Parts: sequence; C-alpha cells; structure tokens
Amino acid sequence: MATEIAFELPYTEWNWRIGVYIAMIGIAGGAYLTGYVADLLSARGNASEHGRIAKYGYLVGLLGLAIGPPVLLSHLATPFRAMLIPLTMTNLGSWMAIGAYMLLGFGLGSFLMFVWVTFGASRPHSPTVAEGEEGTLAADGGRDVASDGGAEDGPARAATGGTTGGIRGILNRIGLIDRLDSLADYTRPSEPIRLALGGVFAIFAAGVLVYSAMAYGSGATERVALWDKTFLVPVQIFGGLGAGLAAAVGLTAVADRSVSRTIQNYALGAAGLLAATLVAVLATVFLLPEQVPAAEPAVQNLLTTHATLFVGVVVITGLIVPILLSVGAVVGQRRDVISRTTATASYALVGLLVIAGKVALALAYLLAAEFTPMPLPV
Amino acid sequence: MSTHQSDGGTARVIPNWESCIDCGACEVACQRTWDLPPESDRIQVVALAHGTEDETNKPMQCYNCAEAPCVEVCPTDALRFRDNGTVRVDAGMCIGCHYCGVGCPFGAPQYPDAEIPEAEEASPLGARGNGLMDKCTTCEPRQEQGLEPACSSECPTDALLFGTPDELSEKLEEDHVSTPFSDEAARIVFGDDADEIVGE
Repeated sequence: MATEIAFELPYTEWNWRIGVYIAMIGIAGGAYLTGYVADLLSARGNASEHGRIAKYGYLVGLLGLAIGPPVLLSHLATPFRAMLIPLTMTNLGSWMAIGAYMLLGFGLGSFLMFVWVTFGASRPHSPTVAEGEEGTLAADGGRDVASDGGAEDGPARAATGGTTGGIRGILNRIGLIDRLDSLADYTRPSEPIRLALGGVFAIFAAGVLVYSAMAYGSGATERVALWDKTFLVPVQIFGGLGAGLAAAVGLTAVADRSVSRTIQNYALGAAGLLAATLVAVLATVFLLPEQVPAAEPAVQNLLTTHATLFVGVVVITGLIVPILLSVGAVVGQRRDVISRTTATASYALVGLLVIAGKVALALAYLLAAEFTPMPLPV
Repeated sequence: MSTHQSDGGTARVIPNWESCIDCGACEVACQRTWDLPPESDRIQVVALAHGTEDETNKPMQCYNCAEAPCVEVCPTDALRFRDNGTVRVDAGMCIGCHYCGVGCPFGAPQYPDAEIPEAEEASPLGARGNGLMDKCTTCEPRQEQGLEPACSSECPTDALLFGTPDELSEKLEEDHVSTPFSDEAARIVFGDDADEIVGE
C-alpha cells in the first residue's frame, strides 16, 4: 500500500532540465559580465582584441539564453503562460519571479550590446590599419583582412563596415549583414551612453548570476542542505564567470583566429576564475558537512554514487584540466613552443570542457541532493 | 464541526500516527469523493525513513500551513491564503514549476499528468492535472455541508483528526498522544498556535 512519493529526492521534482537551465544562465551571466569588462578595457587601448572578447562574451550570453530558458520552459506544465512574465510572475518574494525579470533585462541587454559591437560601419572595436598590435597588422596593411574571411576586403572596407570576424563572414554569406549593419548603426547610441547602458544590463547579468544559485530551492524552508547558499553562491558566481570567460576566449580563438597576447591574458583570467571555482567546490566538500551536518549524506553522494560525474567530469575534466590547459597554452605560446593552431585548439577545448563541467556540476548538485527530513520526528 | 476559520483558528486535518494502520482508506475516500484518478495523491500513505529500522508508513497531505512555504516561493501567486486561512491553488495561474514541491516540507504538492475531472463541486479547488500543482482542498464543499473531510470521516482508526488548533489540542489530549510534528514543523503548520498544540 505504501509508496514513497512525498519524500523522494529533489531530482524527482527537478530533473536534468533544471540543471541545464541553471548551468546555461550561469555561463551566460558570467560571459556577459566578463565581456562587459573587456568592453570597458578596450577604451584603454588595443581596442580590437578586447573588443573580440566583448563581442564573443555578449554572444555566449545570448547563446546561453537561447538554450537555458527554453529548456526550463519545456519542464513547465504551461510554458506559454510562464512566458507572459509581467502578467504571471507577480510574487516578487519568489526567486523564480525575480530571476524571470533578471533574465528579461539581461536578454535585452546582451542582444543590444552584441548587435552594437558586432554590426554597423561605425561599430566600436573594429580593426583599423592604424592599430599596431602584434598579429593585427599584415603585409597588406590590415590583419582584419584575413580575419574578415575575405582577401578582397581591404582595411578601408573593414573600417567602414567590412565583414570583421567569423560571425560577420557567416552573415555576409547568407545576405543578412547589410540589414544588421543598418539596424545597428541606426540604434547605437554614443559610446559613453552605450557603455552606461551596458553597465545597467551588467546589473541584470549579475542578478542572473546570483539567481543561478538562488534558483536552487530557496524560501521559508531551505530543505536541501547541499544547496546551502553560503557555499553555493561562490561556486555559482566564480563558476559562471570562469566558464563564461573561457567560452568567450575559446570562441574568439576559433571564430576570429585570434590568440594574441591580450587573448592570452583573458585565458589566464579564466584560469584564475576556474581556480577560484575549484576552491569553492572543495570548500563545499570539506567544510559544508562540518558547518551543516545535514549535508553530509549529499556530499557523500557526490563522492560515491555520483563520483564519476562530480569528481571525474566536474572537478577533473571541467576545472583542473581546463586550468592546466589554459596556463599551459599561454606559457607555450609565450615561449614559442606551440603553434597558433595548437593554441587555438587548446583554448577551444578549454571552452568546451568548462561548459561540460558547468552542466555536470549543476546535474551533480541536483542528483546528489537530499531533502533534510527535519520537520518529522521519525 | 469547523467549516471556516473561527476564533479558534484555521481548521485542518492532521494525522494521529500512533493510530494509523496503513489501510489506505483515506486515499480511497479522497479519490472516490472527488472522482480523482488513481495517480492523484491529495492524501497518501507514504513510507518514511525508508530502508531504516525506523521505517513506517503514515498518511500525509496538505496541512494548510499558517506559514506556508509554498505560498512564499510560488512565483505566480497561484498559491494563496483564503479568508479562512487555508491554502488554495489557482489552476489558472499555476505554471507547474514545482517550486512549491521543493519548498513544502511535507511533500503535499502533487503534479498529476492525468486530467482530473472538472466536477462542478471541485472547481475552483485544486488544479486539474496536466502537470499543474494539485493538493488537498480539505474537502471545503463537504465542510460547507457540515461534513468532515472525507479522509478523516472514513478513517477506521481515527488516525486523521480534523479541527481548529483548539479542537485538535483537545482531541490529542483525549487520546493521550502528541502531534506528529517537531517544534520546527509545528511552527510552520500552526504559526502562533504552535505552542498550544506542541506544548501538550
């Protein structure tokens, strides 16, 4: 007669789709924030290389939003009702409602910022002949020619709306580039206002990053000790920033064939953020059971039942290997012991590994979680 | 008989676990009364502490908590307190996100996939399946007719007690039993009345 529905594991309420959602919005928020920092740094010089990170940071933010929220909607019983956010998300005491508004603002911001830095004749950060950064000038007068993907494009065209970068090249081939350029030039505000707006959108991105932690159960009863916010928030913030930046660096290396010293610095930055994530994860494993004894079974689940996923994919494949690979590629480049192709492949691989690791982390935190049976004296 | 919030507080069904014999009559009474499909679990005899020496099977359902976590976490305000202090779900607002399922410490929210018949007397109480949240309605239409909820009415061993905090306190005292709730759970369920119930 008896069954076990009432006290099953959290994973029975929230399956893999919630994990993918949480991972993707975390990566998206982190990518936007690091991209925005690069956008700001571009004003200090070497604009095109910082600009690449900004552009691909915003793009990773968009891609994360293109994947995460739709996966969440597929989990809901009434996805179309949920999409009517201003009409339905009325309880602003709920983190899910707060998160919905954060995602809305962030989605708008990442779209606008991406369009403004990627399209239009007067887009910021576009490579010019005057720019003398190593690797940006070629014998024909402009590295942008090669990176534009067309030898027929010259530096003058690049400066006035050429097909800079892989994205523009792709859109040029499918005939959308002119319309997007017009749209971007028509809507783009002045540079100070664009950066100020980017700062406002960065607040939403930071909110999304925090929400990627709070999206795990929150409320009057924190029923899952593994999701203790003191430990979870640093994991999600550092993890989102590190994964977002690593993904942007990987995309920049592949799409723009750029592994310049500036990009290398960003790769080192990503490695640092991933190292901080590793520390936060290890703190969860070693300190959380001491601080919150109810979390002990779930931490043991991470280390035993789900050891392959957590230790193998999250810690080793998703954090340690990318850190070593990033640092190794940068050191190798600076000592001229690896080729540009090898460096490009390394940064791309790092990007893929951290995304896989971030998704695995979210899944592991769902799979290993157990409800704390505190209310019932049995 | 309490049909609405009175001076004594909100009327609820709570279990007297020492009397439960795991017969499942409460589940059958609920499903039969409201013409619910078998997968509906507005009340359910569940295994607690499964796999341990303390494993036991007890009825669980919504307690219409005074400090309901489900109401706090629901993003769409689909879960609200009614004037009589009970918690109701508005099927027209629920999006089936399971936040209430993760927030509720008693496992009350259910998300049946099957269509629950839209019986006239069932509306607007509870959701109607299709993955939306559904839970015990404390048989409010029966209460309006002067009847107890079906589960407590048909429990052969009086393992389900119905009443306001005052009435429940009296019944527990008569039976010389304590509530099944820890202090923390009692605060969630009874709010300011917790001391009155747990203090016995």
